[in-house]
Amino acid sequence: MSVTHRVRLPVGATTLVEIGHLVEPAEVLATRRPPGGGTSLPVASRLHRSAAEAVDLLSVRPGTVLEAGERLAEDGNGREVLVPHACLFLGYDADDGTALIAPLGATEPILGHVRGEVMSVEAEAIEIRVAGALVAGVGGSGPAVHGELRMAVNEPGEELRAGAIDVGATGRIVVGGSRASAETLTRARAMGVAGIVLGGVLDKELRDFEATQLRRREVGGVRGDFAIVMIEGFGKVGLDAHLFAWFQSHEGRLASLFGDAGRLYVYDADPPPARRALARVGDRVIAHRRPFAGWGGELVRVLDLPHATPAGVAARSGLVRFEDGRSAIVPLANLEATEPRDGD
Amino acid sequence: MTEISTELALLVDVGSAWAKAGVIGRVRGRWRLVAHAAQPTAWGSAELRRSLIQQLNAAGDPRLADRYDELLAGANRIECHTARQPGRLAVVAVSRELSGSTARRAAEAAGWQVTVLVTLDDGRSLAERLATLQAAEVDAWLVAGGFDDARSPRALEAAALVASARMPDGGPVIWAGSAQLTNEVMLLFEGGAVSAVANPRPDAKREEPGPLRDRLQAILRQSVAPEDEAHLSTTAFARAVGVIAADGGLRVLAVDLGARGGVRVVAEPDGTTSTTVHSSGGLAGATLMPGAAGRVARLAGDAGDEAAVADVLQTLRARPASLPQTPEELSATQVAARLLIGAMVEDPATDPVDLVIGAGLTIAGASHPAQAARMLLDGVRPIGITQLAVDSGSVLGPLGSLGDDEIGEGMTLLADDLLLPLGTAVVCRGGEPGNAAMRVTVHRSGWPTPSPVEVRVGQLQMVPLGRGQEAELLIEPAAGISLGAPRRSSRIQARATGGAVGLILDARGVPIVLPRRGDDRRAVLAGWRDALMRETERMA
Repeated sequence: MSVTHRVRLPVGATTLVEIGHLVEPAEVLATRRPPGGGTSLPVASRLHRSAAEAVDLLSVRPGTVLEAGERLAEDGNGREVLVPHACLFLGYDADDGTALIAPLGATEPILGHVRGEVMSVEAEAIEIRVAGALVAGVGGSGPAVHGELRMAVNEPGEELRAGAIDVGATGRIVVGGSRASAETLTRARAMGVAGIVLGGVLDKELRDFEATQLRRREVGGVRGDFAIVMIEGFGKVGLDAHLFAWFQSHEGRLASLFGDAGRLYVYDADPPPARRALARVGDRVIAHRRPFAGWGGELVRVLDLPHATPAGVAARSGLVRFEDGRSAIVPLANLEATEPRDGD
Repeated sequence: MTEISTELALLVDVGSAWAKAGVIGRVRGRWRLVAHAAQPTAWGSAELRRSLIQQLNAAGDPRLADRYDELLAGANRIECHTARQPGRLAVVAVSRELSGSTARRAAEAAGWQVTVLVTLDDGRSLAERLATLQAAEVDAWLVAGGFDDARSPRALEAAALVASARMPDGGPVIWAGSAQLTNEVMLLFEGGAVSAVANPRPDAKREEPGPLRDRLQAILRQSVAPEDEAHLSTTAFARAVGVIAADGGLRVLAVDLGARGGVRVVAEPDGTTSTTVHSSGGLAGATLMPGAAGRVARLAGDAGDEAAVADVLQTLRARPASLPQTPEELSATQVAARLLIGAMVEDPATDPVDLVIGAGLTIAGASHPAQAARMLLDGVRPIGITQLAVDSGSVLGPLGSLGDDEIGEGMTLLADDLLLPLGTAVVCRGGEPGNAAMRVTVHRSGWPTPSPVEVRVGQLQMVPLGRGQEAELLIEPAAGISLGAPRRSSRIQARATGGAVGLILDARGVPIVLPRRGDDRRAVLAGWRDALMRETERMA
């Protein structure tokens, strides 16, 4: 199976790959020279014109990238203004006759963070066909990272504890269970873990962790990238047992995690257990709201009439026999059917 | 044997997360809503139809039992739907507090999703601003800043930032800054890329966002969502509200709180409407409100602690088609709805209205009418005497999508099921806690005149007044108490209509003030909730 991944390119990026190119996660797809702080460059005075007149003598528009020595403006009589170094022309101030330019910094690489084949190369994006499985989460945090998958818990509902993060997790994408505290996340980052996959996380703990990381970044205390993806929901929510088993069967495979986008690619992998919105009687289902969030079970019966939840909300509901032996009536809107994998 | 027949019409409102459908048919010579279903949109139209047929088979004419499928297939289908994709906008402005906030609010009120906001006083370096803008994936750019009486170099710098970060042909640019800079800004971009609109902040004291909002709405429709406008929920809902206002000679405020977006419509007695579409104003946007979890936890009192509420709000965003299952989740959801309604109503501020209509599954589909009334009452804080109603059948959107010559007729035909009246609210402000706020005498034709009801500041009291009942109110506000409009007499006479909740006498103030101590606050909140629920249940 394959999915298409899009790598967006900033203005002025130089692409280094062509269609058909096979790329690795750490491979540089393009480069860019990020603009630095703005500086003023006299224009009108050098052209011996008034500030208002000189605006008509500019050779380029704002947004143009100029190499060192390229012309910014000329008067047609031999006078010209050249830029002293490579820069981005930002604008012209018709009050004082100066140009605002942003010198370009050192070349920076643009990584795709995925393994695959380049399908298209355009000014604004590169599209890559990824041979692998996509697992979409409900949320996440952090940039794109990649690393091998490593299981860090034994059960899908088990909480990921700080003690489960050791040196063996460095550079890996760790699969946890139902939750990870801010302390666990901080330790994982400190140990050089690339990313964490969880069933759920408490939103407050995630925000606390993000705030801590932001402060540490501001004082220069954090290096390297780290990302998190939540698959099922917010709060203490376990991974679906079938999906957990799928992760177990793919331990050691290379994966790319896009935290902010809530996406995970696992390479050379079988399709993960699929989900369907409307569950039917006999389907294996996953529940999504408290008090059953993340629980798996079987939809035994759909009730003929709407049933009121403990909150009093009347909804089409079904009787679910959960995998721990308990049964409950759950609104069908809070259930997703899991499709069996081939061979199940 | 003579085959009996009937006429049916199908009203469908397809939202981003939930689809609602109603079947209208003739019952004893009158058009009534005979079946109604709501389900996650992802379940598909076949399932929606199956639900409706199941209801018709159970409650409809048994002689038609085997024919409802065929009858629905041939029924006139009247449909509206949410815009299929939100327009993504980058806003670049000079100041966060003035041009930036005005531009952002105008953009969100026009239905855009502001994905990037950069201001020249946001504390970032030039390089960081450029990097942010270069990474932005947007459909259009809005640049604002500078007053009309001056040439602001900072405003020109904001425009230059966009010119530097935007790809050629990278979407339309709207210049909403100093009029003196318009020509210079035009020169920064390729021909035809920029359109200028009147400065929404022409000087430091004035804010005139109307022209900008209208232009942004037009660009959204033309370039991002070129759909049949009449069938867009935002347009159709507003048209239906306009007809209700014109028919009743009322000033109407209607709020439609969806899973992702929200719509506010103010309709005047002549039927003219003004609509603001808040693209992130739906329940999924609750988590974006500053300090949302803490505010919801505090205002609910029974939704759990801040951490638990934060998870509920994120769940509303992540799984918008799911339903609250526990009382705590429902409480958090409804308080979030109240805050979202409040944000919609404040921006821009709404003058007093005669009727407030609530729409959207969370409000209109609330399991108890008192919950719907509470969301409207606490969200809008409609000072004065105001009728409350909900679009419980989700019919306003579909009916509003009818042609100009049909919409009035359609709404008249379905008059009995158009809205579910909740009752009338009398809301006052001012006074000291515990002191008398107002005395209200309720005269009902054919009933003995009861003693006046005395309401103290901070109290919420209910008077039974069922659907279809009317009453004359004699309101005597205490000194320092206001019902909004200036008054010459110490007594106010008004007419109240009943509904599923009744007559609500609300002296909790505008805005509502709560005790600081947690236990006191929870006790007060529980008292208000019980007052509304108890009386409504007694009436039912």
